[in-house]
Amino acid sequence: MFELQAGLSVQEKLHILADAAKYDVACTSSGVDRKGGKGMLGNARACGICHSFAADGRCISLLKILMTNHCVYDCRYCINRVSNDVPRATFTPEEICELTIEFYKRNYIEGLFLSSGVLKNPTYTMEKMCEALALLRGKYQFNGYIHVKTIPGASDELLAMAGLFADRISVNLELPTEASLKKLAPNKSFQSIINPMAKVSNTIAENRLALGKSAHMERSWGNQYLRGSIFAVGNGGIERDDNDKIVKNHLSDVSENNISNTDKNGIVTSDNSGVLDLSGMKELSMYGSTNHIRQFAPAGQSTQMIIGASGESDYTLLQTTQKLYQSFDLKRVFYSAYIPINEDSALPSLDTAPPLLREHRLYQADWLLRFYGFQADELLSEDKPDFNVQLDPKCDWALRHLDIFPIEVQTASYDMILRVPGIGPRSAKRIMQARRYGSLNYDSLKKMGVVLKRAHYFITCGGHMMFKTPIEENYITRQLTAVNAKENWQVTHTEQYRQMSLFDDFGVS
Amino acid sequence: MRVFTCKNRFEDMMTCIYDAWEYALKHGHGNVKLMREPVIQYSFADEYVHIEADEEKTKKVVRSIIRSISYGAYIYVYYATLYYEDTLDDIYRFLNIGFREGAKVTTMLTEPSVIRMMEYKRKVGNEIHYSREFIRFNSIDNKVYVCHWEPKCDIIYMAATHFADRMPSEHFMIIDDNRKYAVIHPADGEMYLTDLSEEELLRLKQTEQYADEYRNLWSTFFETIGIKQRENAKCQRNMFPIWMRKHAVEFMDGKNEKMK
Repeated sequence: MFELQAGLSVQEKLHILADAAKYDVACTSSGVDRKGGKGMLGNARACGICHSFAADGRCISLLKILMTNHCVYDCRYCINRVSNDVPRATFTPEEICELTIEFYKRNYIEGLFLSSGVLKNPTYTMEKMCEALALLRGKYQFNGYIHVKTIPGASDELLAMAGLFADRISVNLELPTEASLKKLAPNKSFQSIINPMAKVSNTIAENRLALGKSAHMERSWGNQYLRGSIFAVGNGGIERDDNDKIVKNHLSDVSENNISNTDKNGIVTSDNSGVLDLSGMKELSMYGSTNHIRQFAPAGQSTQMIIGASGESDYTLLQTTQKLYQSFDLKRVFYSAYIPINEDSALPSLDTAPPLLREHRLYQADWLLRFYGFQADELLSEDKPDFNVQLDPKCDWALRHLDIFPIEVQTASYDMILRVPGIGPRSAKRIMQARRYGSLNYDSLKKMGVVLKRAHYFITCGGHMMFKTPIEENYITRQLTAVNAKENWQVTHTEQYRQMSLFDDFGVS
Repeated sequence: MRVFTCKNRFEDMMTCIYDAWEYALKHGHGNVKLMREPVIQYSFADEYVHIEADEEKTKKVVRSIIRSISYGAYIYVYYATLYYEDTLDDIYRFLNIGFREGAKVTTMLTEPSVIRMMEYKRKVGNEIHYSREFIRFNSIDNKVYVCHWEPKCDIIYMAATHFADRMPSEHFMIIDDNRKYAVIHPADGEMYLTDLSEEELLRLKQTEQYADEYRNLWSTFFETIGIKQRENAKCQRNMFPIWMRKHAVEFMDGKNEKMK
């Protein structure tokens, strides 16, 4: 590996390495609340803070860069694969720190998102990344948010170190089945992705217990009232023994059901994947901002999957997602609509449009899992493996269950209210609070934030519906499709049309 | 009906509430109305009383809200005073219910004044959050960080508390260009507010043109990080409205502005 053009300026490097990092999805700065302190720089808020929005409408929260875009791997879908002829560059740890600190002081960013191509080998790369993080947390006393991507195949010590410096740590699953991973990322193995994921998950749990917290990550407020939620006890989530080691993390289920249809032995062995040893990391405290050792990945871990590069159905993706939440206690699973950048026989052709609507539907479903108490099986099934293009998953579910609607908002339970299309966690909470003191009407529901254009087909308020609505599947489907049509159009048609203007187009002034 | 009017400041408003309440104890709450100045249209039938701020009365009102209703209710009231439209009468009606019903008032969303207060709190709270997101500091030789901002609601102090926690050991100031005052944070010191004269404001305006290499670096990063195939200006405008872009480095001088 050598740089063809030596002496690139920081600006040129930033251009190359941000360009190479832009396909990574997770740019969130959420999940951890941390106060600032004298002499340090930075704090963190659990809600996350976006600092700008790029031309594609995605948030820019972190300085999302690769340490290097040199890579020894040849993943088919990736812009940085070794067989591609692209300009390459590498940041030194000092450059990464300076950029982060200076951007942060100007309030351009919330922290650093550091990923990397594989330089020489995974361990060497990870070592370099940890060096940058140590410098940032130590010399620069940076107390803001750091999200670090781990390199599959790096050693355990480095993984532990990265987790102690970072707030969120993630390993990209990339593809939901072993077969497609083998096909599209020949240098990566499922084992090398699942193993660190399990280790990080165990370590986070153990570290949380040692700090007197519950072993599970915090989930949204409403989940405590949802018996059917994927995070509820006894719903196939993590089961731990007295020492809170994961006894059975349902990985075997994952392998049987979806992830690995072909090779069962592939990942079952990671059942006893163990815990990272943090005790050897005591000397890290000298880098840290305080005397005590930092918490291990306080904002949890996340992962990302590519949509549309291989032939999986939405059902497979959603089930994998649910299993990932349940078995690894992941904070988020991200989806990335595949954008054809490489010409390759194994991939969709270059003129394929990115499946944006499909990605949108998957995110909607992901929210239904995490905030609304739905299970993957309720939304999709073997017979109906893909989402309805016309309708969002929640409307779709409601239309298949017209037998339980309409429900009476004055008396229905929280989990039922939350299942009505047009009512979200906030408006459901407001309804629960308000109805204790007075009777509701449609006007007050509207003011509480209920989207009546969707909700009014499914609720009664004070015993009557808003309009005279026949509870017929065909009728309501037609109505809701019309409501959704505009939204769907906007997601799929991002190209812009506009009226011509004398001033802008013809230079009349 | 007697209309109590006052200036658009927290102390004035609290005093106004105190005096109106005192009057209402004799004449009934229905015969009282509160308004922020300036009063656009006077009515012949009403009597207008101007109220000046009084520290004692302000303290009394704040203390009894926290003690007899709840701290949460006080946050509702405080946020409503920061709102850019006249919220004074709604605050009064809200307190009316609050002193009768106690802490649960904030959840009594079927009451019109309560739901309006919730709406004010939401709007002001959102704008505070926007300011945390979109405020940009201009570095003057890495010594002082200056920020200009034109919020609708009067929120720069609330925004500054966030940055005081974030950068306790830096000198920085946040300037409200419309209301013509600034929050100044000296390194490792206490924040304070100060009014700005026209000349000071003009001089401070120049900070936005101050040469700084990181401004270019940031613009480079911003332009690079978007994915071309996914371009979606409408979504971008939804998330980052144009009126907030005025002081954002990446959009300054018409850069990256896609109006179509």
